[in-house]
Parts: sequence; C-alpha cells; structure tokens
Amino acid sequence: MSQDRTSQTVEVCSVRVGDTLYGVPIAHVLEILGKPATQPVPLAPYFVGGLVHYRGEVLTAVSLRRLLGMDPACAAEDVLVFETPGGLFGLFVDSVGEVLHLSAGDHEPNPPTLESRRQALFDGAWKLKDRLIVRLEPERLDPMHLASAFPA
Amino acid sequence: MDDLTREFLLESQEGLDRMERCLTDLESRPGDTELLADIFRSVHTIKGTTGFLGFSRLESLSHAGENLLGLLREGQLAPNPEIISGLLALMDILRGILRSIETTGAEGESHHEDRAMIDRLEQLHRVDPPATAGACETALAAAVAAPVHSPRPRKQPGPSGRSLRRARISSQCSPPPAQSGEAGPRDIEATRRRAEPEPRSAPPVAAASIPARPITGAPAPAPETQAPASSGAADSTLRVDVELLNRMMNLVGELVLTRNQILQATSADAGFALLARRLDMVTADLRESVMKARMQPVSHVFSRFPRLVRDLALSLDKRVRLEMEGQETELDKSLLEAIRDPLTHSVRNAIDHGIETPAARLASGKPAEGVVRLRACHEGSHVIVEVHDDGAGMNIEKIRQKAIDRQLVPPQRAEQMSDREILQVIFLPGFSTAEAVTSVSGRGVGMDVVRTNVEKIGGKVEVDSQAGKGTILRLRIPLTLAIIPALIVRSRGQNFALPQGALTELVHLGTGEDDSRIEHLENAALYRLRGRLLPLVFLNRLLEQPPRESGAPCDIAILNADGRRFGLVVDGLADPEEIVVKPLAAVLRRIGFYAGATILGNGEMALILNPGAIAQNAGVGLTSETADTSGDSRRAGQHDFLLVQTGSGQAALPLETVVRIERIPRSRIERAGSRPVLRFEGKLLPLDDAASELLDAGDDPEAQTTVVVCRDGNREVGMTVSQVLDVAGGRQLEEAGTGAIADGLTLLHERVTDIVRLSAVPSLDCAIESQVMEFSVSAEEQP
Repeated sequence: MSQDRTSQTVEVCSVRVGDTLYGVPIAHVLEILGKPATQPVPLAPYFVGGLVHYRGEVLTAVSLRRLLGMDPACAAEDVLVFETPGGLFGLFVDSVGEVLHLSAGDHEPNPPTLESRRQALFDGAWKLKDRLIVRLEPERLDPMHLASAFPA
Repeated sequence: MDDLTREFLLESQEGLDRMERCLTDLESRPGDTELLADIFRSVHTIKGTTGFLGFSRLESLSHAGENLLGLLREGQLAPNPEIISGLLALMDILRGILRSIETTGAEGESHHEDRAMIDRLEQLHRVDPPATAGACETALAAAVAAPVHSPRPRKQPGPSGRSLRRARISSQCSPPPAQSGEAGPRDIEATRRRAEPEPRSAPPVAAASIPARPITGAPAPAPETQAPASSGAADSTLRVDVELLNRMMNLVGELVLTRNQILQATSADAGFALLARRLDMVTADLRESVMKARMQPVSHVFSRFPRLVRDLALSLDKRVRLEMEGQETELDKSLLEAIRDPLTHSVRNAIDHGIETPAARLASGKPAEGVVRLRACHEGSHVIVEVHDDGAGMNIEKIRQKAIDRQLVPPQRAEQMSDREILQVIFLPGFSTAEAVTSVSGRGVGMDVVRTNVEKIGGKVEVDSQAGKGTILRLRIPLTLAIIPALIVRSRGQNFALPQGALTELVHLGTGEDDSRIEHLENAALYRLRGRLLPLVFLNRLLEQPPRESGAPCDIAILNADGRRFGLVVDGLADPEEIVVKPLAAVLRRIGFYAGATILGNGEMALILNPGAIAQNAGVGLTSETADTSGDSRRAGQHDFLLVQTGSGQAALPLETVVRIERIPRSRIERAGSRPVLRFEGKLLPLDDAASELLDAGDDPEAQTTVVVCRDGNREVGMTVSQVLDVAGGRQLEEAGTGAIADGLTLLHERVTDIVRLSAVPSLDCAIESQVMEFSVSAEEQP
C-alpha cells in the first residue's frame, strides 16, 4: 500500500497567507478569482471576509487570515472558489501561486504539538526539500462547518 | 425512481385533480355525461398504468372506482351525494398512495383501508336503482319484481328492499338464467358472494356489462375519445422541469444585470448606444417570456376549493355556493404555491365565520344558500385575489372589544380608531373572534398567519367588511419574486437595497438638520412626520458600522413592513433599480437583517435589507401604527397631496395616486405620434407635459427630467414636473355663499392649489387614433 501511495502524485494549488504556504488539491478548486471586488457583510461571523461575485452568484467567502486570527490584510486578496456538498463558497488568501506536483508519500499528518484551532483546520503537510506546505481540506473551511466548529 | 414511474405520478396527480373538479361539478350538474366520461377516463388511465407498473393497491382501488363510474356513465346509477362523497374519499386514498410512492417508492400496506373503501364503493353500486328502466331491460325481465321501483328507495333502505335490489343487479351481471332460473334472488346473491371472496373480482358489474355495450364504451375507449380534444394541446405544449425554468430565470437575471452595466457604461460611440438599446429591448422581451413560462393560472389553486367548500359546508350544516372568477389569471409558480395556504385559510374563515346557518340567513332576509366568491385579476404589476362572502360581515364593536380584552390595542386608542382601522386588528397575532374553537378555525392563529405568509412574498392583505352584507379579503400579490424594484441606499460607504414594496416615502435632512428635526425620548429617536411621531432606526447603529458624524445630511426612508411603520436613517440615497435577488449562504441568513444580496448595475454588490426583521429587532410595535395615517386625515375632510412645481406654477397630485417619482434622462422619452411616451417597467406610459419641461429642454439629451408616475383607475400616466416640493395634507375649499365644495382645488400650505386631473390625460389609444386620423387626413389631401 505504501508502495502505491508513494508512487501517486497530487496536483496541488499553492496559496500563500502571511509567511505560510498552503496547498489545496486542485480537484477541489472550481476557479481562482484574481483580486475580485468584495462586499463586507456587517454582523457576519468573524471568519467571513465578505461577498464576492462569481458567475452571477453571490458567494460568501471565508478569510483564512481572519480564521487564523491574523491581521486581516487591507490589500486586495485572491479568492479560491470551492464546491462542497453544502454549495459554493470562496476562500480569501493573500495570493495564489503555482500548481505543484507533490508525491502523496510526502504527506504527513498534523504534528500533535500544533495549536488546537489549526489542528482542526489543517490536514497535515507535505514535505518539500526546503519547506513544508500545509494541506487544506475545503470541507473543513465550509462556512456552515466553521459556524458550528468555531462559534465566535 | 425511474422515469416511467415519475411520469405516471405526474399524470395521475393531474388526473386526480381533474377528477376532483369534475366530481364537484357533477354534483351541481348530475346529468352531464361529458363530465362523467372525463372522470371515467381519468380513473381508467390510472388503472391501466398501475397494472402495468405493478402497483396492486392502486389497481384494485381504481378498478372499484371504475366499476362504479361505469354504472354512472351508462346511466344505470344516478349521481347522488353519497356516491360523490364515496368517490372523493377514494381519491383521497389514491392520493395518499401516490404520495407514498413518491416518497418511499412503494405503495405502503393498508389492506384494511382498501377493503373498507372497496366495500363502500360496492355498496354504492347497489343502493340505487337504475336511473332508466330501459337501460337494463333484458336481464331484468324475469328476475326483478316490480315493487323495487319505488321512486326514492335510498331514503328507506329496509333490509329486504336493499337485498332485493342487490339481487337484481347481480342477477343482471351474473351468467344468464342457466343457474339463476330456479333459485330466488336472495340465493343468487348468496352464491355470488361465496363464489367471489377476492376483492379484485368482487365488483364485476361493469366489467360484465360493458362488453355487451360496445357503443357506449369498453374499457379502452379512452384513446379514441380523448385524442381529438387533447392532441392539439399535447402537440403545442411540453412539460418542463421547474429547475430548468429556475435556472433560465437566473440567467435572465444575469442578463438584466449585464444590460444594466452596459447601459451605465458611457460610450461616445453612437453605434454602441444603439446596440445597447437593442440589447435593452431584447432583454426585456426575453425576461417577460421566461417569466411567462413560469406562470400558471390561479385555477391550479382554485381547483381545490370546490371540494373544500363542499366538505366544510356539509360539516358545518351550512349551504354554500362557490363562485370563481378570473381562473385564467396567471401567477408565478412559486407565488402560487405561497398563496395556497393563506387562501385556503381565508376560504375556511369565510365559511366558518362569515356565512351564517341557513336558518339565520332566512331570518335576516337572505337566501338560505350563502355565496363565497373567489376572484382573481390583474392590477398593474400585481395580481389581486379576493375572497368575498355574503355572510354576516364582521362585528366592528366585537372586534374592538376583543382587541381591548386581548390587550392588542390600548383601550383609549381603540375607542378612537375608525371602523376601517379596527378591521385591521384582525391581522394581529393572537386575535380570533370565534366563540368556540371548532375543528375549522378559532384557535387564535388565523389572519396574522395569512398576512405573514402573504407579506413574505411581498404581497399585501386588505379587508373590508359590512355588517350584514359580507366581507371581502383582498390579497395583493406581486407578479414575480426573482426581480424586484428596490431603492439603493448608502450607509457608511456601503450599498444596501431596500425593497420598494415596503417603502412609503423619503425624507431628506440637509446639513445640520438632523439635530433639530430628529427628536429623542430617552434613547428612542423619533421623527415628527405630519404631526405624528415615527420611531427611527439608524442603519449604521443597527449593523454596528462606524458612527456617522453628526450634522452630515442624511435621508429617512419611511418604511411600512408587516404593518410596522418606522423610519430608517441612512447616509444617502442612490438610484432606484430593478434588482435580481440572489440567495445568501446560510451563515449570513442567520443574521436576519438581510433578505439576500444583489449585484447592481455598476457591478457593485449590495445586501438586500429585510424591513420586517429590522422593525421587529428594533421593537417597532404593530399596534398603534397598523392603521394608515390617511385614515385619520380623511376623517377631517383632508387628503394628502404631493405638491409639485410645474413650470412657474404649483400643482397638487393626490398622494394615493402616486406610484413612483423618477429622474430620467430626456433621451429616454420617446414619441408616439405627437405624444411623449415613456417605457416604464416594460410598459408604455403616456406622459403629460404639464410643465412644458420637454419643450423647454432644448436638444441636450443628457438633461434629466422628473416624472411622477401616477395611477389613474386601471392605467398609469406620467407627469413631467420641474420639481417635487412636498407632501402635505390639503383641506377642502368651499365656495363662498353656496357652500359647494370647490372641485379641483385644495388648500395646501395656506395656498389655493390646483389638483391635477389625471383623467384629463388622454389615453394612448387616442394618441394612436389621432395619429391615424392625421394620416388619413393627409392621405385625403393627396391629389
């Protein structure tokens, strides 16, 4: 089995938030919106970055910065559009990088020492030669899931 | 579920709906063979398909129904209330099974119920004698004794009489005299029973007799008889998935949006402007077509009422006739679904509370039979659905007392309220005048639910009642939900959309005016609107946005949401716009203040505010503000007017006729013949250029002009004005000496002002006619 896993490669879309590099399996990403116009929503849960316009729909976009308790950047951000069983939603990240081909064998689960909130949000990491890429699982970032998992 | 089954469910449900209509009609027209044939076909189709799909419960039940209907159709039985009740009950069971198939995929088990139903239907076969003796002459001759033909056997079904009659019919259907010759009728009945214990084979009445009468119709006449009537409709219509229509509606919404953006994008290229205009027209047409595709006639909802009225009247021992009008009026499917319950409730109310018992009606000089009238019609961009009963009407004093007893209105206020205002109290939660709780109504949830449901879809409910004469309940429903007119307001640099339906008027406060004109009672901010205090809600505070600097100009949107009147203070107003409602994610819906989001013509997004939720949150009460202010002023001989500047003079427009005030570029005004016209919300509006605004304008197409859109009876007309000045109450003027009320004049702000007579604005027909006349005149002048 380990033989299979190591031989498999995953296409991962790399995104950057702050100094950390994250990766989302490309199969989950519906579209990438480059610095779209956003509309803040007063009284929304803290992790909601705002609304974005995506192909005629108004998407709720989660801000990874806000979710991680970082200073919400005032600079324009890119948005990844995900589709989950609950519907479409967006994820604000600082910037979207290139698509990487990573080996499934290089993936390891979250370290036990990781802070509990990140423990729940992250899905392990891939080991690159010189750095780590945190794996994100869209279903864990779904606003409905977040609302119940991390009430304000 | 496979396609075949789904198709079957759809068809069967339609068939049952049709049957239900026909059955209730049959009661009033028992001799109508067309109706009977129609019902028979529906049941027959269901039976045929069920056997094919292997739904045995459905098959045996519809078979039993078909047998009974077969007898009815051939005239061997005459329809009577018991038979119709039996058939209606059968339909209820069939419906139940269809539902079960739809949800679980199986028919479910209830043999007991089926058995009872089939027995009931069989009983019905036998209770009545043949309607015409000629229909069954042959088999009867020997077996039937004359005494059976008593004119009203149903009334005295003595045991012997009944079994004799049964025997007669069964003998008619059982194999010829070979066996029955020597045995008495009773014995035949007995043997037949013993021989046929199976429910499926128990009622072979029709099955046996039908083959003998090929002319009147065999089990398979449906295709031939149905074909000529329905083939036309079948060829020109097709079933479309509602999902697909929803998607199309969404896409059209997108197109409207893109069009708005294109229209707003300024372009120097004249060719582009032309294209944009063309796009505008095509989009409007397309939108209308797609909306039309979603329309269904209200008969889809009305059709259930004959049955409901019948059952209800029977259970209450009242006599009620249902009249329906305007069934062809069409309404968006989702809206139709939404008014189903409120309407049902209203009809129940009309029968339970409205219509009196036959004795009471006769005593008050009315016919014993009450009338409930359902009427639907178009009025502007709304559909009106009325429930009218000619019952006792509402007892104003009783309502007033109850309102006080239930502490819905403070006593001194209740005493002051006019009859019209008092009537509105019935829409408050917790109000019910029923003396006792019946199974039909009187549980205290009533008209408030009707109102809530209707207002949820942007509609309105009005009630009017006259003691002794009856009550009219009027539901005013918008034509569509997906695209609504809205006013865009700004708060702290952000756009919000306010649905126009809730907006009654706007008040602008200039720089520094907020301090002087907004009053405070402790923490509550209030605004004095024509002498009455109006609670204010600050949008920025409500949404926890940064505070606004005091002294800056602001606007108050006066809203009336679910009968709650309040003013919403915003930083500024942008344009009115037709917006496409986009749903919000569940996490944001929870906030409660937003009804959705939308994308504006300039590409920005805006949250759509929910005025009802805002009022509720702010604690704006229903009670004292339910009544419209016009009721008060009208009592004092006053009317509210919109005061406008027309050229050098001033004029007054009755406020209740004003639909909207629009600022539009002159280039949008077009001409039909010599008449200026405006395309407004997809309709053509004749313009009255009282202010000579258009003549003075010169050629600058960018210049803006103000148009007041007014309703005059059933039509709408536009008035060009230089400026809108104020809304004010005007007093009637009396001519000195005669004391006659001066027509067309009113006293506004202590100044005699002309009231604009909208009826004087010629209709468009005239415009076109005069154009034709001009044309014919010039044609005659030709040598």
